[in-house]
Amino acid sequence: MGRQVLENLSNFWPETVLTITVCVAIVANLIFRKNAKLISYISLAGVLTAGFLVTRQIGMSQSVFSGMAAVDPFAVFFKLLIATTSVVIILFSMYSAEVQATFKRAGEYYSLLAALTLGMFLMAGATNLLMMVLAMELTSLSSYILAGYTKEAPDSSEASLKYIIYGALSSGLMLYGISIIFGLTGATDVYGVNRALVSGQTSYIALLVASILIIAGFGYKISAVPFHFWTPDVYEGAPVTITAFLSVASKAAGFAMMIRFFFMTLTVGAPLSDGTWLALQGFEWNKILAILSVLTMTLGNLVAVWQNNLKRLLAYSSIAHAGYMLMGVVVLSDKGLAAVLIYFVVYLFMNLGAFYVVMLVANKTGSEDIDSYKGMGYRSPLIGVAMVIFFISLTGLPPTAGFIGKLFLFVALLDAKWIWLAVVGAINSVVSLYYYVRVLRNMFLRDPEGDAGLIRFSPGQVIILLVLLIPTLLFGIYYAPIVEFANASVLMFRIQ
Amino acid sequence: MIEQYYPIFVMIAGGVVFGVLMGKVNEFLGPSRPTEEKSSTYESGMEPIKTARERFSIKFYMVAMLFIIFDIEVVFLYPWAVSYKQLGIQGFVTMFVFIAVLLVGYIYVWRKGALEWD
Amino acid sequence: MELHVLGVGVLTWLTFLPIIGMVAVLVLPKNNPAAVKWTAAVATFLQLVLAAILFVMFNKSMAGINDAASMQFVERFKWIDIQSQSWFGRIQIEYFMGIDGLSGPMVLLTALISFIAVFASWNIEKALKGYMAMLLLLDTGMMGVFVSLDFFLFYVFWEVMLLPMYFLIGVWGGPRREYAAIKFFLYTLLGSVLMLLAMIALYFSVAITDPATGEKIHTFNMLAMMNPANFEPGSLLYGFGTYWRYLAYIALFIGFAIKVPIFPFHTWLPDAHVEAPTAISVILAGVLLKMGTYGLLRVSYPMFPEIATATAWYLALLAFINIVYGALCAMAQKDFKKLIAYSSISHMGIVLLGMAALNTQGMLGAVFQMFNHGTITAMLFLIVGVIYDRAHTRDLDAFGGLALTMPKYTGIMTVAFFAALGLPGLSGFISEAFAFLGAFQVDKLRIITIASTLGIVLTAAYMLWTLQRVFLGQPNEKWAKLPDINPVETFTLVPLAVIVLVLGIYPSFMLDMMTTSLNHLVDFVSRGGAAVAMIP
Repeated sequence: MGRQVLENLSNFWPETVLTITVCVAIVANLIFRKNAKLISYISLAGVLTAGFLVTRQIGMSQSVFSGMAAVDPFAVFFKLLIATTSVVIILFSMYSAEVQATFKRAGEYYSLLAALTLGMFLMAGATNLLMMVLAMELTSLSSYILAGYTKEAPDSSEASLKYIIYGALSSGLMLYGISIIFGLTGATDVYGVNRALVSGQTSYIALLVASILIIAGFGYKISAVPFHFWTPDVYEGAPVTITAFLSVASKAAGFAMMIRFFFMTLTVGAPLSDGTWLALQGFEWNKILAILSVLTMTLGNLVAVWQNNLKRLLAYSSIAHAGYMLMGVVVLSDKGLAAVLIYFVVYLFMNLGAFYVVMLVANKTGSEDIDSYKGMGYRSPLIGVAMVIFFISLTGLPPTAGFIGKLFLFVALLDAKWIWLAVVGAINSVVSLYYYVRVLRNMFLRDPEGDAGLIRFSPGQVIILLVLLIPTLLFGIYYAPIVEFANASVLMFRIQ
Repeated sequence: MIEQYYPIFVMIAGGVVFGVLMGKVNEFLGPSRPTEEKSSTYESGMEPIKTARERFSIKFYMVAMLFIIFDIEVVFLYPWAVSYKQLGIQGFVTMFVFIAVLLVGYIYVWRKGALEWD
Repeated sequence: MELHVLGVGVLTWLTFLPIIGMVAVLVLPKNNPAAVKWTAAVATFLQLVLAAILFVMFNKSMAGINDAASMQFVERFKWIDIQSQSWFGRIQIEYFMGIDGLSGPMVLLTALISFIAVFASWNIEKALKGYMAMLLLLDTGMMGVFVSLDFFLFYVFWEVMLLPMYFLIGVWGGPRREYAAIKFFLYTLLGSVLMLLAMIALYFSVAITDPATGEKIHTFNMLAMMNPANFEPGSLLYGFGTYWRYLAYIALFIGFAIKVPIFPFHTWLPDAHVEAPTAISVILAGVLLKMGTYGLLRVSYPMFPEIATATAWYLALLAFINIVYGALCAMAQKDFKKLIAYSSISHMGIVLLGMAALNTQGMLGAVFQMFNHGTITAMLFLIVGVIYDRAHTRDLDAFGGLALTMPKYTGIMTVAFFAALGLPGLSGFISEAFAFLGAFQVDKLRIITIASTLGIVLTAAYMLWTLQRVFLGQPNEKWAKLPDINPVETFTLVPLAVIVLVLGIYPSFMLDMMTTSLNHLVDFVSRGGAAVAMIP
């Protein structure tokens, strides 16, 4: 027993390190009250160490803590993605005027960031329904507080409250769905549930209801329509750093958990040799997701057109992107999953980049309105060019990384002959062009209003920008590494 | 099947009978001198009729929350103490980690001044 | 045929020279506009020199089209090669470039028009560095499209053009530039996403044997996509004339039709042309429109020969609409530039008519018309630019008698106008004649062809009417002091005028380059089309 626990713990190092980081960040803040920089370095070191430890798990495939979580290529991929995002966000925070203004509470900020990362790590690996709920709650609770972190700003508090209310509702629904699943199968671990569903006659209606309820929980995390209502308010109200974090890492963790849940429980076991999965007999849940996907991207894109606040616009754009990524889940194949993973790598750089630009501009002008971007391309050519590249990538035009993400999604869709969905996705990316270009129009086609002075940035800020910008371009031209890594990472641990 | 529940029914019946009985006995035996004060809902304390949406000091919440946290700690400590011998050194380390984590929380609460009433 | 400069293939140089120029422009100091202009001029000049060398070295007897061995100046490298999971199959994308008699004239045209566009932009003052950088990036995109033989590469270059074009129209354009720029961007993107889907469907349907390992791999190689034997049985686009093949063809067609532009996808064109600065109108009309027809000939025709044959009549119908509708619209315009824009639609219709004929004359006429229209319309837009720079109006009725005040200008203008209306002796006549001759030979298209000649009459009418309104008649007092064209403008117009004259008198210069390839293309497509007739 003891040895087993220790053995399990040895596969749990990244999470353990994050837990320690949470504690150390809190205590350090109490001892060095004036030194916010130190806390940020501590949490940076913690997350980096955790990320490094995750790289040691590459290639591993086993279950830990008696089926509670799995350490497999799939989880490792998402953990790396989340750790990377977390590191970038900590770097953002060091330069964010919003965060720096509240340096007295730096300990809380950074320890909650670490806790959020921990929760997402657990989400990436959870193989037990209860573990999934717990991991999701840890993530949600940390993000509720972080969303309202700048409590002096009324919209920040509003964001936090809305987030809590929607979050509570959807996790309640999800729990209810899980309890129905448990009632149907008598198991809470995904393998047990799957065994029971495959072997026994389950009521179709009950399973449908349970799945829809559970989708409510996942849909809330990945902000899919119609569970997206919190997204624009929270993204607008929360500090930019947190918004960026939620838009990438939270969505990634949600997708990881969702994919694992659906593919591990509601399919007929292992994929076929050509990498396609079969949905449970008589229960084609991927069609529900297809509808969800269409709704999500269409609504996200159409509503984004009318936004005047850039953070809100990016919120709707992130909803649309969740819709694109859902297309990869719908096709029920390893190709589709690989496409989702590829998309996430690409999305990480381009979306964080876009938010970083928003943050840099807000630092200088104090505004996130699209109107305040007028003439920005001339006030700071660097920012202008960077924004062009990030937005072109978000639209999905070559030669940027965003195109590669879209390409592989469409490849997966057409391979599985989901042609109508591919057409909807393609037309949606045309719609998305319109609102991205609206921002670029203000930056380059309009003259600055009022203050038109040049904006300069410190070398550190420029380096972070380049760290996000270069991959966005490079992966558009040479993407073999990410495709290979994603292809190798669709492997989920299964009990044979 | 249902026979197994008989003791419970008996228990319920006994409870109801006893409760009603004691109330009635009190009514009969005690002297009854009602005044206006005595007939009001709360004989002492604050005026019962005003807006319900009253503000409480945040301190009350703090105390309540802290109480729950450390209360739960005791809930865990008790069974651990009982079966300490069987759990052995592993159990000791586990509990040590648990308490250490809570301790961090305690230090945080303390240093942030949540334990000071004024 | 191969040619290397400093160890790098000539087509790579042709494509990426502008990018080198762009980097150079970006690092130059802002306060030195002359250096910026000259850097761009040198970059495009070197490109033009390379293109000229290519023209001289071009082997006129090699066909190309679907035959890799007779492609010229080929460069072929593995770009992306992913061998990982069995379920994914191998992903292989090549850096595959080469030219044949179809793309050769277009490469020449692109280099020429880009070079001229730099000089046509000599007066730009606003954010000159950005302007030249975008112009050069656009140049790379255009050149890349014409030399790519891998569909993926083709698509990347195709899309690379969009962004610079948006900014060039949007930042340096006229009063309604924002509207025109976004309209152009949205229209073309809509076309290209449909093309993307068709491209992926083709990718999955085509499999070739890897010579090294002997395994079957999917490929983006355009030449492989042209061989019906490479289509895997059971794949989406396998077979002849199937539902899915029609769908893919239509998707590709819309993608290319928006670029041409074919009615009813043409509405972006007048806006974009009117608002764009002169040099960009020149590029737009001179090169970008050709991309649509080039794509049809390079992609749609050889990959879907049976559908191209079956839908030839409908294409001819669209061509007729383009010719007559474009000409009628041009006649109704009061804005000089808008008139030229609609005349472009009309002239591109002739290209389509020649293509629909699917015989040697028609095809030669079509491709030759692509080249000629590129040079002639470039001249027309430059001419409009000249007068707009001086008078700041393009209202046709505001002028009159300019021949008196600007004699040299009027001289060059006359060449362009007569070339546009197809006067014998000028290049436009040859290609139009070929296109109509080709179409007339086809029984099914005869009526449409006869009806389309109405367009020629209309063209003559509006061109001559314009000539009369602007250059003849009573001189307008207001414009009595307009200076005649300056040396830079002369330098942009004269070479084009010379080409128009030379090709009008001795068209074999260009026709010889195309004949072998286009004969092969016609032969190949009609055999592919005939294959349908055999399958019940």
